[in-house]
Amino acid sequence: MSILKPKALVITGDGINCEVETAQAFRLAGFDAEIRHLNDLISEQLREDQLFPRYSALAFPGGFSFGDDLTSGKILALKIRHGLGWDLARYAERGGLVIGICNGFQALIRLGVFGKDISITHNSHGKFQNHWIKVTPFGTACHWLKGLGTMDLPIRHGEGRLIFNPSRRIEVLGKMDRKGMTCLKYEGDPNGSDMGLAGLCDMSGRILGIMPHPEAFVRWTSHPEWTLTPARANAPGQGLSLFENAYQEAMRAL
Amino acid sequence: MYARIEIATKPEFTDPAAHGLLRRIELAHPEIRKQIRWARWVDVYWLDVPMSREEMIPVITEIFWDRVLQWLFSGNLIPSAAGKHGGVLDLLETAPQRPGKFWALERRYRPGVTDNVSKTALEAFEIVTGKKMPEAEAASGSILLLEGSALTEESLSTIARSVLCNELIETWTLLSEKEITSSERFYPERIKRDFPRLSSRSTLATPKVDQYNLENLTDAELEKLSQKKLWALSLEEMKAIREKYKNPTDVEIEVLAQTWSEHCKHKIFGATVSYTDSSQSPTGSDQEIPNVIDGLFKETISGTTKQLPKPWLLSVFHDNAGIVAFDEDDAFCIKVETHNSPSALDPYGGALTGIVGVNRDILGCGLGARPVFNTNVFCVADPAYSGSLPDRLLHPRRILDGVRRGVEHGGNKSGVPTINGALVFDDRYLGKPLVYCGTGGFMPRVSAGRKCETKEVQAGDHILMVGGRIGKDGIHGATFSSLAMTESSPMSAVQLGDPITQKRAADFILEAREMGLYRAITDNGAGGLSSSVGEMAGLSGGARMDVGKARTKYPGLKPFELVVSESQERMTLAVQPEKVEIFMALAERRGVEVSDLGTFTDSGRFEIFYNDLMVADLSLEFLHKGAPRLHLNAEWKGRAPIQNPAAMRFDAIAPDMLLALLTHPNIASKEWMIRQYDHEVQGTSVIKPLHTTSPGTSSAMSGPNDGGVIKPKVNSTSGIAVACGINSKMSDVDPYLMAQSAVDEAVRNALCVGADFGREDSVFALVDNFCWPDPMQDPAKGAALVRACYGMKNAAMALGAPFVSGKDSMKNDFRGRLKGADVTISVPPTLLVTAVAKVSDIVNARSADFKYQGDVIYLLGGSEFGLQGSQLAQMKPIPADSKVGEPDWGLARKVYSWIGGATGKEQSKLHSLHDVSEGGMLASVAESLIARGFGAVIEIPAAQVNEASRDTSLMEFSFGEGFHSFVASVSDSDSASIEAEWTALGVPFIRLGKVTGTGNLEVKWTEGTAPKHWFMDVKRLRAAWRKEGYWE
Repeated sequence: MSILKPKALVITGDGINCEVETAQAFRLAGFDAEIRHLNDLISEQLREDQLFPRYSALAFPGGFSFGDDLTSGKILALKIRHGLGWDLARYAERGGLVIGICNGFQALIRLGVFGKDISITHNSHGKFQNHWIKVTPFGTACHWLKGLGTMDLPIRHGEGRLIFNPSRRIEVLGKMDRKGMTCLKYEGDPNGSDMGLAGLCDMSGRILGIMPHPEAFVRWTSHPEWTLTPARANAPGQGLSLFENAYQEAMRAL
Repeated sequence: MYARIEIATKPEFTDPAAHGLLRRIELAHPEIRKQIRWARWVDVYWLDVPMSREEMIPVITEIFWDRVLQWLFSGNLIPSAAGKHGGVLDLLETAPQRPGKFWALERRYRPGVTDNVSKTALEAFEIVTGKKMPEAEAASGSILLLEGSALTEESLSTIARSVLCNELIETWTLLSEKEITSSERFYPERIKRDFPRLSSRSTLATPKVDQYNLENLTDAELEKLSQKKLWALSLEEMKAIREKYKNPTDVEIEVLAQTWSEHCKHKIFGATVSYTDSSQSPTGSDQEIPNVIDGLFKETISGTTKQLPKPWLLSVFHDNAGIVAFDEDDAFCIKVETHNSPSALDPYGGALTGIVGVNRDILGCGLGARPVFNTNVFCVADPAYSGSLPDRLLHPRRILDGVRRGVEHGGNKSGVPTINGALVFDDRYLGKPLVYCGTGGFMPRVSAGRKCETKEVQAGDHILMVGGRIGKDGIHGATFSSLAMTESSPMSAVQLGDPITQKRAADFILEAREMGLYRAITDNGAGGLSSSVGEMAGLSGGARMDVGKARTKYPGLKPFELVVSESQERMTLAVQPEKVEIFMALAERRGVEVSDLGTFTDSGRFEIFYNDLMVADLSLEFLHKGAPRLHLNAEWKGRAPIQNPAAMRFDAIAPDMLLALLTHPNIASKEWMIRQYDHEVQGTSVIKPLHTTSPGTSSAMSGPNDGGVIKPKVNSTSGIAVACGINSKMSDVDPYLMAQSAVDEAVRNALCVGADFGREDSVFALVDNFCWPDPMQDPAKGAALVRACYGMKNAAMALGAPFVSGKDSMKNDFRGRLKGADVTISVPPTLLVTAVAKVSDIVNARSADFKYQGDVIYLLGGSEFGLQGSQLAQMKPIPADSKVGEPDWGLARKVYSWIGGATGKEQSKLHSLHDVSEGGMLASVAESLIARGFGAVIEIPAAQVNEASRDTSLMEFSFGEGFHSFVASVSDSDSASIEAEWTALGVPFIRLGKVTGTGNLEVKWTEGTAPKHWFMDVKRLRAAWRKEGYWE
């Protein structure tokens, strides 16, 4: 029944570098995944209103777009805004799902998807860090995280500290909490992120930005402690469940 | 219009950039750090953009200013962007000490130095305005604001020179408080003056080509000319050139000098050798080294592979990297390079270009492969080095910090996981650090109908240069690294990389490969176009190239500079004429620049033009075969006796010795560094550099693994293992053993993580990287080279593991001055061996940690350890009766074939496997215990103790180093069947003890009949191993 397979569009180019494994995670979850270069989308002038239902999901993968120069995700966001002019909230309203992972999350923040009083910057310890953390979903708003418990996932970033406008912090955080936007938190404090936030979703719950890399844990052998349980080697990793949730939601929306 | 933009983090937020710098100041100059009470970091941009003030304000705001996080200072351009003063004064007012004493250090790049951030800023202007702005210019820099009443101009210039800037590529200015608060620096005239522009901006009406009349020069004059021009050509080579060309142009000599450089040509490895063994007591295994050798490379490296024909070898030695089959559909390739000389001058740029450079080797290997892992090995002096530094040398901490940042930026930004590596500390690396950068690649065995290892060029194919532009950076890199480093080594040899330009080019090339848009590809590395086009011309029989058509970073480059510049991020491709148009169109769509430089020919000539002017016309035959052969004299005087021996009492010193070994930087945790490398991007890593228990919890703890394993294919459960071996300290005993030890360690490390070994179809290959002090001047260093080559060959032959690629760097000496006196520092002869192998099923991959209480601990394989050449011997005088560990390759084959799955069936029952190397058996046991923190009882068997020299043999069994040895753990219930299989197969083993739950390491032995023992809390082992403090 290939006709029923929902499609995912995975963006690449300009230093994005996790497009292959992100597309693979979508495929394992049941999607057809297409990796497209941003420049091709711009020269084709693919409009936001053409995205859905052609693509049920849209992914901005991790990487170092534009070398993280000026600020992480910034120039990528400018290129999406000025080159494509996509209104991601409208796409979500139509039924689309969006995930921004690591650098993709940073770009979503620069695009203003989560409001204009939030930003993301260098880890408080000042270092790029690659290690595994535990993250716990909060609330029920986010479609990508529906029903999921605490997960082990890798983080690999130098700029993962979420911050809020100091003069409006309490107000903004309160509002985001109420809307269920503060949907994913770290256990512990890997980077100084405000409230330990590891991910945010928009008010519709269909756009998720996430610092850890779920696409890097779709198979148990990616876990740093898998050699303790070799019998589970071929089991799926916990990160796959996000993409499986998206598949369920995409099938429902189609 | 001109604009100067300053971006500061708002005072409400911490400033990690300033904190990081304070930490580096603390490590380098703790006394100055105490004088600093407050510090903030400000990013600075100088802009010259063809836009009006009104157009500029919204664009600058959109590109540069994050209102949540930052303040933006721009003079009176956007005055509302900061606090009440609208300027830097707002920031100063947040300092705790008021009124304070403020200073600022402003940092800028020197003209012509790669400035990636400013390049991106200009791209952002084009994105936002939708207009191309070729005439726009930008530069990036920073200001470090400091407050401290005790700070002086002297202490601030110390910070600027030794922490903030590398004066080879950057300049700095000290600003007083008055200058900081003044708005003068925002005035257009001042911005114009501050712009780091190259002084000569005139386009050349006629390109300048010099001709050299060599005919009447004396020998001394020929040598002097070569030296002055940095050609690194010997007298014999200058004479050979004169024989052929009486009046060569500078372009011709430069092309010959690059192609004939030691760096490119490996003349020492091609030299004829006379070897004399005048040792008093010749040692066992090296008897067969001949006295006359017809080239070390041919006899010991390619010759080894020739004698080990394997069906899975697809391409060895004649391409950028060795290519081996992964399965029926895919192949993988491996290359390891060194980037020592550039890293000595600018560790950050040197390491960064080392990595992106070796990535290009992979991209230019066969039809082009995708980089899938990096492996990096650094050899530096002790970061705690407190002696005096010769002029021009950087402190090892700066070297290490710079190379770390280089790898972080080069590896992480390229999206290639760094899955393996090593760090070796020895103060003889003070003069030249060794920076080994390796990359593995993956590619389909057939692309667009052609085999992946194909390397062919036809006359008529276009010469296309793809990727970056040519600048003055990296001129004479190849010849410079073929000379000893001196105080006057040129800064033009230094380059900075641009990972994003390269990433774009790489993505484009792999796309073009699948569309069959080119015939052949190679990278531009050492020697630039002279080497890449010169080599490819060898495949078609000639080339006609016009360097006037090459895209440049700025005008004014001389023809010879265009030909030899090693500016980064460039690939050279041979493209069929009918495909040029579609190739160019795709490149344009991918934002990749291409220069069409001419065509390959079959004329037998390498003809170079600058527009219409012919600037070089060389015979290809002479270029590639005309270099006179060198002769290397080598004399081996035998192993040195043990220096200043001293007896030691095992029970008195062993516990402290174990702690001291674990704390030694050669053994201590490298987690601080590994965590800053992305080792998981691409989502393929199976065995990571560290094993971690309870990740993500407060009790998470990591210990070392022996190598890395990736699973490169989605639909296959096979993996690739990569590991390395390096043991330069053994060179002090015998370079023959040093090389054998490097091979053995690399092989063992790969086996530990699960490599296949020992079957005819087991894919297991080696890569050699020699870094030597100049062997031409000293027969002892020559002998070290000969012995290392034969040691390596014999080990590889015995194990049946062919070499597929390699590289050598033969001039790792520093000649300079220390406190007015001449000083020479030479690296110890150092061989890095990298092993790559297939893991048939990654379910059999292993980590090194003891996993279960009650498991039996074995010493598997070799058990003949010696203290000579050990880590312990570097730290303490050793007893006169100390042995040297010697190999037994027959035994090794049995052990390795069992572990590698060729002879038994019980190997999958190993719960952990870890090699015994630096620090010996007890260090290895400790490393297996550190993460999970159980305990262990280790019993030294009486049979291992020679009562006549009891303490020495106890020390040797515990801390000695040798060959073929592993610490393994196995479930108690499996131990009977596994021991039975070992016995049947002749795999030696010693039952050492058990994993316990006590939290202690207990070591037991007997003296006569008296039982003895000591305890050590595993927490102390951890604390010793995890000692940090080497870095920012």
